Amino acid sequence: MNKILKKRRTTVIINYLGIVAMLVLFYLVKSHILRTIYLVLEVIPIAVIVITFRTAFVKSSLWNMTHSSSKKLDEREMHVVLHATNISYSLFAIVTLLIIYLFILSNLGQIDAVLAISLLYIAHILPASIIAWNEKV
Amino acid sequence: MYNRIAVLRKERGLSRKELADKIGVNFQTIGYLEREEYNPSLDLAFRISECFDLPVEFIFSTKPMKPLSEELLNLKRGV
Repeated sequence: MNKILKKRRTTVIINYLGIVAMLVLFYLVKSHILRTIYLVLEVIPIAVIVITFRTAFVKSSLWNMTHSSSKKLDEREMHVVLHATNISYSLFAIVTLLIIYLFILSNLGQIDAVLAISLLYIAHILPASIIAWNEKV
Repeated sequence: MYNRIAVLRKERGLSRKELADKIGVNFQTIGYLEREEYNPSLDLAFRISECFDLPVEFIFSTKPMKPLSEELLNLKRGV
């Protein structure tokens, strides 16, 4: 595995860990395990998410690739994006289903805005993440 | 599928970007084609052959391709 691909994969992992950290901290405060003041610490995972998003998806042009019209892509790129979107669809369905079950079983209440926004963000970065994971440089 | 894109591109002194612009693909796609990690569509294969002004079967093959020097020598010997 070449260095650039390894670095890109690491950045993608850190990005997802940032989302998890942000959600865990939020729910720890919401469940009164931590005091409200700890919400200030959300700045750290959010900063991590923003920085790694820029590095892994924006600078590598993967965000453009997955979000541009098919007319702007060549046949290989279209094939790659289609494949990534197919995998993303399945993954996203599984993750969302698991979260819904988790909420039902653990009495966490309703799915709130923070989780909904995180899921929306994940839905948008999943295809780019799969491409970032698989594409050679 | 095997191809001679890398040899032909270098022979004509083209960069990957220049060839990509000529055939209307991203320059990274040229890398994938040259490494034989992506098989082009018939349309793209013909665009590449038109760009090099060579028949498609000279550029692409389903069998491993001999070096051009060897083919030339065979041609000279009439093999």
